[in-house]
Amino acid sequence: MPGVAAVLTGADLEGRARPLPTGSVEDGVVADAGHPVLARGKVRYAGEPVAIVVARSRALAEDAAELVEVEYDPLEPVLDPRTAGGAPLLHDHVPGNVLVSWARTSGDVEGAFSRADRVVAQSFHIPRLVAAPIEARGAIARHEVREDVLTVWCSAQDPHRPLAQLGAALDRDPDRLRVVVPDVGGAFGSKGAVGVEVAAVAAAAVELGLPLRWTEDRAENFLSAYQGRGLDADVELALAVDGRILGLRAVLYADLGGYLYPTTAVAPHTTAMLLTGAYAIPAAAVQVIGAATTKVPTGPYRGAGRPEAAFLVERMVDLAARDLGLEPVELRRRNFVPPEAFPYETPMGWTYDSGDFERCLDTALELVGLDRWRAERERARAEGRLVGIGIGMYIERAGGLWESAEARLEPDGRLLVRTGSSPHGQGHETTFAQIAAEELGIDPAAVEVRWGDSLAGPAGVGTFASRSVAMGGSALVVALRELKERAAGAGVGVLELAASEGGLEVSARFGSGLVFASGAYVAVVEVRRATGRLEVLHLAAVDDSGRIVNPLLAEGQVLGATVQGLGQCLVEEAVHDEEGQLTTANFADYSLLTAAELPPIESRFVETLSPLNPLGAKGIGEGGAIATPAAVANAVADALAPIGVRHVDPPFTEPKLWRLLREAGA
Amino acid sequence: MTSRIAVELNGRLYEGDVEPRTLLSDFIRHGAGLTGTHVGCEHGVCGACTVQLEGEPVRSCLMLAVQADGRSLRTVEGLAPAGGLHPIQAAFQERHALQCGFCTPGFLLSIEAFLRERPDPGAAEIREALAGNLCRCTGYRAIVEAVELAAERLRAGRGA
Repeated sequence: MPGVAAVLTGADLEGRARPLPTGSVEDGVVADAGHPVLARGKVRYAGEPVAIVVARSRALAEDAAELVEVEYDPLEPVLDPRTAGGAPLLHDHVPGNVLVSWARTSGDVEGAFSRADRVVAQSFHIPRLVAAPIEARGAIARHEVREDVLTVWCSAQDPHRPLAQLGAALDRDPDRLRVVVPDVGGAFGSKGAVGVEVAAVAAAAVELGLPLRWTEDRAENFLSAYQGRGLDADVELALAVDGRILGLRAVLYADLGGYLYPTTAVAPHTTAMLLTGAYAIPAAAVQVIGAATTKVPTGPYRGAGRPEAAFLVERMVDLAARDLGLEPVELRRRNFVPPEAFPYETPMGWTYDSGDFERCLDTALELVGLDRWRAERERARAEGRLVGIGIGMYIERAGGLWESAEARLEPDGRLLVRTGSSPHGQGHETTFAQIAAEELGIDPAAVEVRWGDSLAGPAGVGTFASRSVAMGGSALVVALRELKERAAGAGVGVLELAASEGGLEVSARFGSGLVFASGAYVAVVEVRRATGRLEVLHLAAVDDSGRIVNPLLAEGQVLGATVQGLGQCLVEEAVHDEEGQLTTANFADYSLLTAAELPPIESRFVETLSPLNPLGAKGIGEGGAIATPAAVANAVADALAPIGVRHVDPPFTEPKLWRLLREAGA
Repeated sequence: MTSRIAVELNGRLYEGDVEPRTLLSDFIRHGAGLTGTHVGCEHGVCGACTVQLEGEPVRSCLMLAVQADGRSLRTVEGLAPAGGLHPIQAAFQERHALQCGFCTPGFLLSIEAFLRERPDPGAAEIREALAGNLCRCTGYRAIVEAVELAAERLRAGRGA
């Protein structure tokens, strides 16, 4: 066909591209089931790439792609992570369809449950979600034959992880590979691992000796980009009659999909590690079964395991309060990790660096106006209306590992900062300039911040886990403090020293353990009896992210994350039919909230500083997406309590709630 | 097979050869090279590709390029004088109404047309007017505030 350069299949890439690496989990077993660049012999989900068509234009490539004939013999779909163990194997070498397994027990769990005055148990289903950045994925690859350097420009969260992932998949030394990440139209976790499509495009660019561009359309993004969440869980709490939580037991069944992307195992492990939440629970046992299913793999999506943990433990605490006849506020107060307990090691083994959970809760209750809403709830109930109040506490693992920074102070006082950290909408350019300006006492306008090129910038780990300010910002502070020390040693100011020495250069790397942001969200909702429609009447968001560098940008992160969290409660759910086909593969069937659907949201910060970095920063990027679903879920359960409903899983759509209301005879 | 079309693009005549199936969004980006118009879904929901046709906002992904023949188009590049910001853009910057910025051009073109028609809108009206554009980053509140600020300044500018 004229204009078509090549059609490549998995067989054509044999020996040229290997599956992406699988990643690992501390103390866990991760199967060797990396995602192949193009399928060979067996496809494991609808949407898995099987061939690549290279043509002069997108239109020609799409014409040619329609002529590619693939013969499929249908295999039995495996959809439910709870029963995947008894289903046909997706990978012959992965027994029981278990891609990830992990378990940890700490303290006398059996004793706690046998001593308990009350045991509360609940099963949960958290649906899969689609990250849906408005810019979908894309890449350009060009191979310089003479130097044997492959350059890949891609829509990614940072250049470092694509560099490592593509290096592994293409068996290419890092010094023969350059990754450039230009302006990126949103990611929310979904661009932290390169899609296999990027590896295919890069391999084809080398193979064909042509610069190639790939831009996916929205349907491809829905079908083939890794999705978020997808977790079933059975959780039990052991309680004393006074409301003290004695122990927690849980089994988490993660719906991981057909393969493991490098980051697929992260989310369920994070859920397990954070399952004791904001509470001092002395004994816990948590098991993770990461099941292979015939769906696109899952991976991090804003929150990445933390929203699941917050939803599970916060729902359990509310159920316990109900069973014990206690106020949910009071049950929480009796079990919080107290401020004097930090650093606090949880039974799962992470050490919370700082926090003041009760202050966060009190701030949120005041912000929402708890007494007023309690009175309103009573009034509404007397009229037969269904109004509920719900609390969602959260813990956000953030930071960790390391980042680096380079700075050059010019003789004229301009500062050039190169950071290994890179943005996709968070505003690093502003925040990092502000950090530098404050440290050196110069005008932020004199600071230029550059990032995003693996060849031109310092090494780094990447932008994820709300870690940029705590890690990248701290690396910048460390670098600039070294400049100031040099100047102090010379007995002059930094600007003078830079002027007299023709400029100053410095670089630094900063590493630390994990930091833990936290917070309290309170939601007030009403469920309309006639239709099942859920209205969020008020939402208070209180985040303790340590030191806030830029309040405007920080609030922007809170509001954005909160509205994503609301979307998860109200409308978002990736639905697969009984054959494993995604039935919500466009913005009409998978809707995002619009400006017309916004409830009143108020945000406040509590600042307990992290002792682990010079800024005292924790993380701000994800709290709203973590805590909002928990708060709204508790509010919905509270609203429906008068008609005997005990628990509802998200999303709280009109049809779902309407059916519940009918069943309850309301 | 291609057709020759001529459009007035941001006040200047632009002629180009397009296939009948070429989307207006692809023509603007790849034919005219104006990449400020972003493509988010190509099924008319997200609004990122919104441009103005004869002054009215349209989804450029839902139109064929040939349908724009002989008509005037305005894209985000035509919103402000070179090197400057339109009052709506300035308000977006001040209120932090964009994060990744990918959806922003579509919002700007929708809002500019909206404020011409409704110079003094209420908050609920603004939210309704914005509901045709998706933003995944901001949670919209800052965009609503930016529209309020821009409306106020545009009114003051007209009054002056």
